[in-house]
Amino acid sequence: MRLAGFYVFAVAVILLPVLFPDNYFVTVVGISAGLHVILAVGLNLLMGYAGQISLGHGAFFGMGAYASAILTARYAWPAPLAMVAGLALAGMIAWLLARPILRLRGHYLAMATLGFGIIVHVIMVQATRWTGGPDGLTGIPTLNLLGWPVDSDSRWYAVIAVAMLLAIWLSLNLIDSRIGRALRAVHGSEFAAQMLGIDTGRAKTQVFVVSALFAAFAGSLFAHQQGFVSPDSFSLMVSVELVTMVVLGGMASTFGAASGAIALTLLHAGLVVFEDYEMLIHGALLMAVMIFMPQGLFVGLSQGARRLWRVSRWGGGN
Amino acid sequence: MIVPAPSSVPDYLLVVEGLEQSFGGVMALAGVSFRVAPRLIYAVIGPNGAGKTTLFNALCGYYRPSAGSIRFDGRELLGLPPHRIAAQGVARTFQNLQLFFNMTVLENVMAGCYRRARSGMLAAALRLPLVRREERQLRAWAREALELCELADRAEQPADALPYGLMKRVEIARALATRPRLLLLDEPAAGLNDTETMALRDLIDRIRASGVTVLLVEHHMPLVMGVSDRLLVLDYGSVLAEGAPAEIQADQRVVAAYLGGAVQYAV
Repeated sequence: MRLAGFYVFAVAVILLPVLFPDNYFVTVVGISAGLHVILAVGLNLLMGYAGQISLGHGAFFGMGAYASAILTARYAWPAPLAMVAGLALAGMIAWLLARPILRLRGHYLAMATLGFGIIVHVIMVQATRWTGGPDGLTGIPTLNLLGWPVDSDSRWYAVIAVAMLLAIWLSLNLIDSRIGRALRAVHGSEFAAQMLGIDTGRAKTQVFVVSALFAAFAGSLFAHQQGFVSPDSFSLMVSVELVTMVVLGGMASTFGAASGAIALTLLHAGLVVFEDYEMLIHGALLMAVMIFMPQGLFVGLSQGARRLWRVSRWGGGN
Repeated sequence: MIVPAPSSVPDYLLVVEGLEQSFGGVMALAGVSFRVAPRLIYAVIGPNGAGKTTLFNALCGYYRPSAGSIRFDGRELLGLPPHRIAAQGVARTFQNLQLFFNMTVLENVMAGCYRRARSGMLAAALRLPLVRREERQLRAWAREALELCELADRAEQPADALPYGLMKRVEIARALATRPRLLLLDEPAAGLNDTETMALRDLIDRIRASGVTVLLVEHHMPLVMGVSDRLLVLDYGSVLAEGAPAEIQADQRVVAAYLGGAVQYAV
């Protein structure tokens, strides 16, 4: 069945807080992991499927967050309206940027998107009047869904879980469609795709915009959930981290991107105890995964699990 | 030689006139003219470097020739980008495989059906009922093309898991899935063994029988002479000869430049 994996994952997401109520790793880290999944799944549409890199995706994440933060905290807009404004802003900028930027390939595209990410970050720091500068913005109200205030970690877990499952569902549908095949064709061979009548420039623009919308959506939720935003959350490092999640999990697979996002989030949370050595262990683990599982965690672990199952069934590896 | 005819001659599907393409001073195409009648198998032959693949790339809009015209069914193709040329009903395969190795065989061919469906991004992401219906239709069309190419049993395999000969046939199936009026085959027999080449010949005949005009670049002379209705011989970017297979084989200049010796091929 086409969505079998999706249902299994959805059940796991629902069961987790039931089995482990009030567990820090489920509610607090889980919220952060869920937001990362939305970001990684969106970026994977661009990177894994259409084969275009973006090292500036933190910028779109930030646009969604700041749009929601500024409009709700300063101008008392209703949260849904602010979210739509953030999506429109990110979508529009992605669209304007896409045509000139996606003509570039490989390293050049990486450089261009990197530059874009840096520019947006500088604006967040410098446009103090709007963004609050390096100190950020406080006083962002939490979400209120039809009289149901999202005011606890477990409620936020529920909201983010639904948003994340929605993002995964949309991505799975998209990939397994005429549009999704066109995107994968662009990755496979641009000329061959064109000879099937696919306007590859348009296809790349579309996926860039969609991927920016996923990021802005996550950004808006992030702003309301944290109640506070500052430029640190949307720096170059964040953009690089998002790319790492997609690559780590395994490109060109929605669940690969999702598992990369979850794994990296857990890793950060788990390594906090090592304090100064955190980044060292973090880096070493990433290198090990890439060396031993070049296709990413998702494929690597599922193959490993299959092998283990076979060994345990017949005993001794034959 | 070809006398330049008034353009949009209705008897011809493709009319190429005075096509010129140069790369840094080297004339890869030095004023190539020819006409292809519908439902023919029209072969382009010539030594390596004669400009055969350059001609294909120019016809497809990959290159932008500096002079000449390409009229397809009365419409000028010169200056159009590849995807607009494909939209006119031109499809092709590639000398060096350009399969989508990130997809299954069926998905490759379904990608070929791109222009035969309408649904957009939002409808696809929400998987509206319209999209489900369309997917079923695309799948059926793709299976038809696979069956024509005798690949039906390979549909669910990843494209990169096939033997080379079958990969080349998937490219043909993918091109046919666009429902072209003109199909460009760039060295379809290269790398095939004799059995596969015979099967390819049957396939090309079936393609013609389905109403598609075929333009064929190929080095395998028995295949070319056996399957083609007419031939164009290129040498150094110019037309050396044009005619039916028997005429070409009797042409002393062609024999000297390309065929060599007194070789006779079964027709």
